[in-house]
Amino acid sequence: MDGVRERRSEELAVSRRTFLQSTAGVAAVGAAAGCLGVIGGDDSPTVLSEPDRQYDNEDLPYPAWGQRVPDVAVPTALSDSEVSTRDVSQPALYTFFYSHCNTVCPVLISTMRNVQTHASNEGYADEVSLFPVTFDPERDTADRLRTYGGEMNVDVDAGNWTFLRPADPARAEAVVTDEFGVAFERTHPEEMEMYMFTHAALTYLVNGDGYVERAYRSKAPNEDQILADLEQVREA
Amino acid sequence: MNRRRVLAALAGVGLTGGSAWVARNGVPRPDEDVGGAGLPREVETLDAPGSTAGTAAVPVPETPTVVDLFATWCAPCDEQLEELRAVEGEYPEVAFVSVTNERVGDTLTREDIADWWAEHDGAWTVGIDPGSELLSAFGANSLPFVAITDAEGRVVTEYSGVAAAGDLREDLDALVA
Repeated sequence: MDGVRERRSEELAVSRRTFLQSTAGVAAVGAAAGCLGVIGGDDSPTVLSEPDRQYDNEDLPYPAWGQRVPDVAVPTALSDSEVSTRDVSQPALYTFFYSHCNTVCPVLISTMRNVQTHASNEGYADEVSLFPVTFDPERDTADRLRTYGGEMNVDVDAGNWTFLRPADPARAEAVVTDEFGVAFERTHPEEMEMYMFTHAALTYLVNGDGYVERAYRSKAPNEDQILADLEQVREA
Repeated sequence: MNRRRVLAALAGVGLTGGSAWVARNGVPRPDEDVGGAGLPREVETLDAPGSTAGTAAVPVPETPTVVDLFATWCAPCDEQLEELRAVEGEYPEVAFVSVTNERVGDTLTREDIADWWAEHDGAWTVGIDPGSELLSAFGANSLPFVAITDAEGRVVTEYSGVAAAGDLREDLDALVA
């Protein structure tokens, strides 16, 4: 028995080091590389199989497939509350943005908004949580985000949409960059009075047990793909 | 500002909008493995000025087509519409189609989109692309996005960011001359 477990761990140590460290080997089954279709049986923390990708988890600067969602508590922007990521017990999407952004962020937010509308149209609005996280807490006040949500045709009062707003810039970096692996940096474009950001684009799909199912690394996430993945995760 | 890519130069290696999308995202979709990137695609069209409710293939078959991908929340998309309006009347043989990838629902209805269209003096076919499939097929990752296709449906030019009327005229002159 021990021999089997050891051998398995050895194999996995090559490709899944980070994952094993954080889960003490419990979820070893199903992490074999290249596995397609149904994986892992009851021990797998994910519903979706490993994405087709070039890198192993430990090479990635962000939590990826099969890893736990970062353990953070972030204040909600429009109410006097906070969300602890690991207490979220249903499928959730996270994305990272700032509302003064003109290019990438509106696409990320509108994708999430389209998911919200799909959920509402298809009757699963209360089975998914949507967490857009601002990394510009100084300017993204409650009023600003409420207005922004309105412009983007988001139903900000629906229970499934929660703008998250770290308390200050330092905390934004700690949460968004250090925990979620989404780098951002202030810029001061010559033709503009205000500061902007360069930033990475990432949207996470996390399952109800708090494990990352997908990290969509795209400025224009494929909405159909997200909806299909979400459906599988919801119905698991 | 705008990133203009003349795709004709890349035709030899088959880098259509669709495969460019794959290259950027690494998520191949079955219908994008072949040239043409899953185009044309059937979209729902709306009852609005210059447009009737129904469906339309985009790009329009056997017709040079200017495809404008927009969203009602996208401020530069207003500007893009203005540039397109300046050009549209000069090219009767070219089809113009504008499509939003916004999903209609309680917070944005078909009527809201039609109202937006009327407010901004839209005057041709306007449709919706819930699921962003057309967006994906063109490989657009920002809005506004304009693609010009020839009569065979090949993408000859595309713009990420506002395409100026002058540039559009150059493209269309080359296409319909």
